[in-house]
Amino acid sequence: MKKRLITLSVNGEEHEIAVEPRRLLVEAIRDDLGLTGTKRGCESGVCGCCTILVDGVNIKSCLMLALQAQDKEITTIEGLRGDDGGLHPIQEAYVNYGALQCGYCTPGFIMTTKAFLDENPKPNEAEIREGLGGNLCRCTGYVKIVEAIQAASGQEVKHAHH
Amino acid sequence: MRNFEWLEPDSVADASRMVRENGEGAKLMASGTSLLLLMRQRIFSPSHVVSLERVDGLDFIEFDEGGNLRIGARTKHRTIEHHPEIAAKFPMIHEMARRVANPQIRNMATIGGNLVHNDPQSDPPACFLAMDATIKATLGNEEREIPIEEFFVDYYETCLEPGEVLTEIGIPAHPVGSVGVYTRFTTTPAEDRPLLGVGMVLNMDDDTVADARVSLGASTAIPVRARAAEEALKGQPATEEVFAKAGQAASDEVTPLDDFRGSADYRREIIKVIVRRTGMRALERARGQERVGL
Repeated sequence: MKKRLITLSVNGEEHEIAVEPRRLLVEAIRDDLGLTGTKRGCESGVCGCCTILVDGVNIKSCLMLALQAQDKEITTIEGLRGDDGGLHPIQEAYVNYGALQCGYCTPGFIMTTKAFLDENPKPNEAEIREGLGGNLCRCTGYVKIVEAIQAASGQEVKHAHH
Repeated sequence: MRNFEWLEPDSVADASRMVRENGEGAKLMASGTSLLLLMRQRIFSPSHVVSLERVDGLDFIEFDEGGNLRIGARTKHRTIEHHPEIAAKFPMIHEMARRVANPQIRNMATIGGNLVHNDPQSDPPACFLAMDATIKATLGNEEREIPIEEFFVDYYETCLEPGEVLTEIGIPAHPVGSVGVYTRFTTTPAEDRPLLGVGMVLNMDDDTVADARVSLGASTAIPVRARAAEEALKGQPATEEVFAKAGQAASDEVTPLDDFRGSADYRREIIKVIVRRTGMRALERARGQERVGL
């Protein structure tokens, strides 16, 4: 099958790549652009490891073709940073609250957190847990992730289920 | 995933033509969240994928003066979930839409794609069935309206012809005195697919059920109207006992699926329970006594 030349706009930079129609967006990001922060997990839209932002909302890049991402603004974990060029406040909160163990699911969680807090800057715990519904962590559970999101949203960190 | 030709028409008529010109291997794609899963497992390997991405005019939510609702086929679940007028006028659509799959999928997947896929483990079909919705579809230059009950034919099968494009869903306004509820039930985490969905629209005359539509989804091969349950409700006082009888009737009249989410026996039991609870929720909603967070 003939490859097509497409332009992907990722983290503010335009990349021209040649892809077969079947090329998934997650494959293009990782293997064509070398941005391996975005992970491949279940590859069936369940685990959320491959979560990125497309036009500001969180989506699963294993369920989208690279062809479908043309003319859209893509943000991956590599595109997140703080005002000082260092870690983004969400990333800092994940570090400070130990909201990861092996770390494989973390980029997906952080991208979901980014989209979620952009839409709902002061969520309560139930809303946080609903917002995380499309991301799975198999190491540590969700308590510390919920705490990190409470901290990242400038709220008191309180959790009833320790 | 096997490779395919990628086609991007900019009109419904061209999309319809491209599918018909390219034979049985040609398939329409809205967002692709369901189709890509089948393609990656090589359950289905289309020769041509006709994308609706560049077709304008399929992404809209409109109410007319009479309160009837039209939703364009390429409207995303997220857009429906966050639409304030839908939440106000059709709470059953709102409560259904905010539980479809998970947040990322709701940001990607479309309502039309959901309906044409006709996956039994899904929420919108049963919800819209209880609402007596109409499907609008275009084949070439021919447009037709299909009552939703005729739309679902069999497991993953609809009445659409090859190349026929679902363009919108029409939902009639609830008559005055009516209330609608959708209950999603699962034994697994909330983000899993439903084990059972119950849609119910009651037309109330004080505390008597004047008319009722009840639908069951996710526990049968295709979503079905539970007509015996409806008959058990009509003309009866809206009490827990009557809703329990309706649940029994619904359970008796269907042949439930038997799969890893639940055995047929389990589903027969849980249909009784969830129909009864849905009736009680409808009653609370009709009386404005609804508890938040259900």
